[in-house]
Amino acid sequence: MAIPKTDKAFDALGDRTRRTIFERLAGGPLSVVHIAEGLGVSRPAVSQHLKVLREAKLIAMTREGTRSIYRIDEEGIQALRDYLDGFWNVVLNRFRQVAEQTEKDKDTSHANHSKGTSR
Amino acid sequence: MQTIQKELLVEASQETAFRVFTEKIDLWWPKSHHVGKTPVVESVLEPGARGRWFSRHEDGSEVNVGYVLIWDPYGRLVLVWQIDGNFQCDPQLHSEVEVTFQREGPVRTRVKLEHRDLEKLMGGKKVIEEMNEGWGYILELFKALTNKTETI
Repeated sequence: MAIPKTDKAFDALGDRTRRTIFERLAGGPLSVVHIAEGLGVSRPAVSQHLKVLREAKLIAMTREGTRSIYRIDEEGIQALRDYLDGFWNVVLNRFRQVAEQTEKDKDTSHANHSKGTSR
Repeated sequence: MQTIQKELLVEASQETAFRVFTEKIDLWWPKSHHVGKTPVVESVLEPGARGRWFSRHEDGSEVNVGYVLIWDPYGRLVLVWQIDGNFQCDPQLHSEVEVTFQREGPVRTRVKLEHRDLEKLMGGKKVIEEMNEGWGYILELFKALTNKTETI
C-alpha cells in the first residue's frame, strides 16, 4: 500500500537531521562518511537516521565494494506525488458536491422567488 | 515529481463553479486537522489578484497559505502556495495551482486543476521544510478524509 509508506516518508522528514541528510542526497549519491561530515551527530546516530529514511523509502542504499552508497529513492518520491494526487481527488470531489448543491439551491430560490412574485 | 493534473465535470454554471471555488472555499476545503495550532474556524480566499489565502483559527490567529496570482473570473484562477517550516507565509516559496473553468453548458462546467512545480518539493531546504510542515498539514486533512470515506 502506497499510503502507509508515504505516511512514513512524511514522519521521517519530521526530523531536522534527517531533512539535512535528505537534502544532501538530493544533490547526488554519497557514502556514509560524506553524509556524516559536519552533521554534529555520532556515527551510530547517522546510521539510525539512514535506516529510518530507508524504511520510509525516501533513500536507497547500494554497495560499492566495502562502501555503502546512499541515494534518493525515486520510487519513494513517486509515492509522495501519488499521495498528493489522491489529496486533490478528495478535495475536488468535495468542491464538486458543494458547487452542485449551490447550483440546485439557486434554482430552488429562483423558483421560490418567482412563486412569490406571481402571488 | 512533475505536475499533477485533475479534470472534473461539475453540474453547475461556470460562475457558480468559480464562486464556490473562491468565495465558498470554506465549505469544501478540509479543516478537520491542524498541526500545532488551534482548530481552523474558517478558510478564506480573498477575491482579486494578490488576494490572501489563509485560515482563521479559534485563538483568533490567521495562518497564510498563499495568495491569488491570477484572478480571471469566471474562467481562470492561479493560486500560489507558500508555507514555510514555521507555518508562516514564505515569499520565497512558489508552488502554483492553476484552475480553469470551461463552460460546457448552462449548468455544466469542466474544471481543470494543475498543481505545478512539484519538483521544487525535492529542492531547497525551505521547500523540504515546507513539505514537512505544510504538506504534512494537508496530508493530515487528507488522512482524516480518507478515513471517513473508508468508513462509509
